[in-house]
Amino acid sequence: MQRFRRLVAALALAATATTTVAACGGGDNGDDSGAKTLKLWHYESETSAMGVGWNRAIEIFKTEHPGVEVRFERKAFEQIQQNAGMIINSSEGPDIMEYNKGNATAGLLSSQGLLSDLSAEADKRGWAGKLSPSLQTTARYSDKGVMGSGKWFGVPNYGEYVTVYYNKDLFERNGVKVPTTMADMTAAMDTFVGKGITPLGMAGAEYPAGQLFYQLALSKADRQFVDNYQLYKNPVDFKADPLKYGAATFADWVKKGYVAKDSASLKAEDMGTAFIGGKVPMIVSGSWWYGRFKTEMKANWDTFLFPGNTLQAGSSGNLWVVPENSKAKSLAYDFIDITLRPEIQDLIGNNGGVPVAADASKISDPKDRKLIEDFNTVSKSDGLAFYPDWPVPGYYDVLVGGFQGLINGSKSPDQVLDSIAKPYADGVKEITGK
Amino acid sequence: MAVSETVAAVQPAATPTQPKPGRKRRGRNAAYWLYLLPGAVLFILVIGAPLVGTLYLSLTKWSGIGDPRWVGLDNYQQLLHDDVFWASFRNTVWMLVAMVVVPTLLGLLLAAVLFDVIGRRFKPRTAAALRAAFYLPQVLPVVVAGIVWGWILRPDGAFNSLLDAVGLGALRHDWLGDPDTALPAVMAVMIWVQIGYPVVVFMAALQRVDPELYEAAEVDGANWVHRFRAITLPQIRPETFVVALTCTIAALKVFGPIFALTRGGPENATNVPSYFAYYTFFKKLQVGYGSAISTVLTLIIVVVAVLFIWMQARSERRDRGF
Repeated sequence: MQRFRRLVAALALAATATTTVAACGGGDNGDDSGAKTLKLWHYESETSAMGVGWNRAIEIFKTEHPGVEVRFERKAFEQIQQNAGMIINSSEGPDIMEYNKGNATAGLLSSQGLLSDLSAEADKRGWAGKLSPSLQTTARYSDKGVMGSGKWFGVPNYGEYVTVYYNKDLFERNGVKVPTTMADMTAAMDTFVGKGITPLGMAGAEYPAGQLFYQLALSKADRQFVDNYQLYKNPVDFKADPLKYGAATFADWVKKGYVAKDSASLKAEDMGTAFIGGKVPMIVSGSWWYGRFKTEMKANWDTFLFPGNTLQAGSSGNLWVVPENSKAKSLAYDFIDITLRPEIQDLIGNNGGVPVAADASKISDPKDRKLIEDFNTVSKSDGLAFYPDWPVPGYYDVLVGGFQGLINGSKSPDQVLDSIAKPYADGVKEITGK
Repeated sequence: MAVSETVAAVQPAATPTQPKPGRKRRGRNAAYWLYLLPGAVLFILVIGAPLVGTLYLSLTKWSGIGDPRWVGLDNYQQLLHDDVFWASFRNTVWMLVAMVVVPTLLGLLLAAVLFDVIGRRFKPRTAAALRAAFYLPQVLPVVVAGIVWGWILRPDGAFNSLLDAVGLGALRHDWLGDPDTALPAVMAVMIWVQIGYPVVVFMAALQRVDPELYEAAEVDGANWVHRFRAITLPQIRPETFVVALTCTIAALKVFGPIFALTRGGPENATNVPSYFAYYTFFKKLQVGYGSAISTVLTLIIVVVAVLFIWMQARSERRDRGF
């Protein structure tokens, strides 16, 4: 009898050991299905479209994963921007985190092996099918961390793009029609100038000047230019169109009074509040302003795509990334999957955000729907051209400095193009080694 | 008779069991070192180790993630040919004018007037209130002061409105946006920020000057300017050195106001080495190059500090006549 008991005990032990070993073997492949905690960090405010959508996603996740604790921490954008490398490299980091897209951020971390390769999950769970090619650009990175091709290291679930916001009341009061071509646009601006109103709000100390320049350049550009400029496929000649046209037209617009000559020191917030306050009839800026204008602006307003452009500055939003050190990768993938579901996507859309995989017909507010339809038009026609400061780290300040020179009239377009060409070339050399 | 001989005569002869005086002094000195130990440990942890780390990183190429790559003196060679680096140091010279030269001279004058004129003719409380008013900007967090001055100097800000109100609307300007006016505007803000510090230090210094010196000078017919030159200036020379040294170090490493007001722009017109190091380090992710800038800046600050302390010591020796 005793011998029998020993045999049963030995068999039980062997069975347990086999199960354990199998589980350990799976650990190397990231099979952490037994994880009981998901540490999740993001930096969206609670009331923003993404914040609302992701709060709901957390609720759904909890329902579908009873017994799993979600430890959510809201972080500051700058906190993640400056410390992500150290955080992810430690054992104290999250299992899933919102992180900035681009070569200098997600690309850099992926090239150092700090982010999990999501390619298999993207295929298995159908993420690849939900995101258009231009949205996938920011999700995939080469071995050197250059976006556009290679493995999946992040998944975006919202988008953003640069559009023209206009004050309908000011347009009507001054007899100006909504432009559909560049000729209409300049005619509209001439009308405002004639009435002593500066037509375009501007902020030379931050991104708006660079984005206006890029929108102007994109009016003469094609996808090949974007690939050359953003993905370093071929050298870029800064002294030729489209960049030459962008800088020259920008200078011309300053000269004609379309852009205020004393806006070099203004920040994006100043430009936004000037538009909200009805001081300027138009601004060329991103969809990230949309929710705020909806809440704060009293005058009637709407948006239209930068006239005549097939390419628009814009991209996916920031990414969900899964650190290589994550102890709950399966749970993290489940969470990403939930954020891409129609329910969450529609929720983002109905709160003034730009979802990447929403059904526009499910968006109740016509203005919200138009914002999303415009994005879908651009995204589906492969029209997202990213942002001018993306190619190399630190290029944002280079562009700001250059276009402050154009606003002040202290530099010619040629001089500005020279001043932004060298840091671009140096940065590309740094990244590609060419 | 020498002091040591007197002491030897008074003290009983040393017995073999008693420790020798020299050994006793050495033991006492060793005890002093114990008191210095916590400070030394903190110094090594907070200043020494980061300094050595920065020096090491300045000899590498590193993006902040992964392993740094040793490049020797390449970063320093690159610095020598970097126009922005030299422009930032040229701007530092102007910051020295705004944060050291003008506040020290103006502070000296204001302190003397407050102490010698206002303090005598009015109640001392009046002088104290004015002193506090001058010192107020020093109490404000520098970033807050920077943001407020940014509002004042913006194109539709209070300063331009004031110009309009007094009929000088033609002078309206984007003060911080134009490369020609941005640096002078930042300098003006820094003078406003700094002025209270020398005023307070100099007024405290003036309080320890023997009033009889002034009375004697007055009896001899010395006017205020004579008294200022012959008594005030020489008497508060040690404090002048301290103010000049601390303000010089502050000017060399100025960062907060530049960050809040202009971020080094427009077109690098207000860039300074510490902001340039920050930008290179955190924005361009060139940690090695940013460390090289920081190392050069540290070296300059140390040299300037040593020079000041040496000059002060020499001046004190001269005053004592040896």
